[in-house]
Amino acid sequence: MQIFSFLFDRHLEKTVLAAAIALSVFMLTRSEDSQLAAGKNISAFLLEPVDRAEDYFVNARKLSAENDSLRERVVSLQYENERITQFRDERNRLRELAGFREDSFYVFLPCDVIARSSNRFHHSITVDRGSDAGVLPGMPVVGYRGLAGRVTQVFRSSSRVLLLNNKSVSVSCLVKRSRVVGVLAWERGTLFSLDYVGKEEDVRQGDTLITSGFGRVFPKGFPVGSVVHSTEEKTELSRRVGIVCMTDFNKLEEVFIITGGREWEGGEAWLEMEKSRREKEKADEKDDGGGGEQ
Amino acid sequence: MTYVLRVVLAAFIVFILQVTVMSKVEVAGASPDLMMVMLVVLVIDRKPIAGIIAGFLLGFLQDLGNASFLGMNALAKSLVGYGIARYGRDYLPDNILFKGLLVFIACLIHDIIKLHITTSFDSADVIVAFFRYSILSAAYTALLAVLVMQIIDILPRRMVRSGGRY
Repeated sequence: MQIFSFLFDRHLEKTVLAAAIALSVFMLTRSEDSQLAAGKNISAFLLEPVDRAEDYFVNARKLSAENDSLRERVVSLQYENERITQFRDERNRLRELAGFREDSFYVFLPCDVIARSSNRFHHSITVDRGSDAGVLPGMPVVGYRGLAGRVTQVFRSSSRVLLLNNKSVSVSCLVKRSRVVGVLAWERGTLFSLDYVGKEEDVRQGDTLITSGFGRVFPKGFPVGSVVHSTEEKTELSRRVGIVCMTDFNKLEEVFIITGGREWEGGEAWLEMEKSRREKEKADEKDDGGGGEQ
Repeated sequence: MTYVLRVVLAAFIVFILQVTVMSKVEVAGASPDLMMVMLVVLVIDRKPIAGIIAGFLLGFLQDLGNASFLGMNALAKSLVGYGIARYGRDYLPDNILFKGLLVFIACLIHDIIKLHITTSFDSADVIVAFFRYSILSAAYTALLAVLVMQIIDILPRRMVRSGGRY
């Protein structure tokens, strides 16, 4: 204790000075490699906030570059979309000429899933839109990735949706690549089967399944699932085709009810896009003019 | 912002300036030691312990810029910081030119310590380097210190006149 009192009470200045000198000499007497390593470690520790700030700005620059490229992509997709719309209009006109019904764009009503049935043999969900929003029984329901089910009961502000993973649900489907038709039926868990597919039909693993639109229960062309196995049974007339649905029925949080088709007159889509583009250009010009005056 | 935080921030800024800008304003191979200016400004009115600690930390920060002699600046600056805090105020009149002289002498002592370490106590090399670079560098640093101290002296008066607002 006396030595501490001697060092820190009576000779504090000299003690601190001696400690500083000793520490400096200790650092100086170490090998050059260890000096460099220590310097590097301490610098890295001290400059960590600076590095983080630098990373932030570098990331911001990257994000800006990504934003630019995405903008370019948006523009190109916009034009591609316009071209597709023109083709669609043209196709509709030709269909009309040939006497077919006109195709339409679907109107999607976004809904939140507010309840889920606990019955393991009757998988259904309840969504937060009902007759007030124009929902009717029988309307198809899709998720982000593909077909999910069909509205079975409608209340004022909610609806019950019967999901595809029910024994009582069958969906007529097409194999996208080979246009082979079959009926999708639930087997167990996430596994479905495509029934009534002939032994000689061309169905391969990895093929995508889409709705066929037969019976007009589900609209045509919505992705349903993909083929996981396709085997030929010697004793049977049909082929066994296993399907995994694109929609994960256990993780449905938001779905879309297809409330109807939007009717399009010939060229209406193009005119509407033209109109919105002109409006946008006008607004941009206005902004530029306002900036110049300031 | 607390005083310590301000000092730490200022030390970092001065260190960055020292590493980046000072090498570009060299005159005949001599560049000013901004860390020394900061040390003098910091410790001239303080107790010797503050001088040692400030000198050690500023020197150590400077050493991190060139870690091949880790501890050299820390040693030199803690000794110089102690000397300035111990004797600077008592023996020098309160005049900006005398403060400049103090910086000049501090720089010379600092350089002598440094040169002894870098030349492994080779007296001939120390003398040559001292007369070739140290005097000019010390004069340069002293000039800069006078300028900085003058600015520091003027700023508070302006602040008082403007009611504490810049």
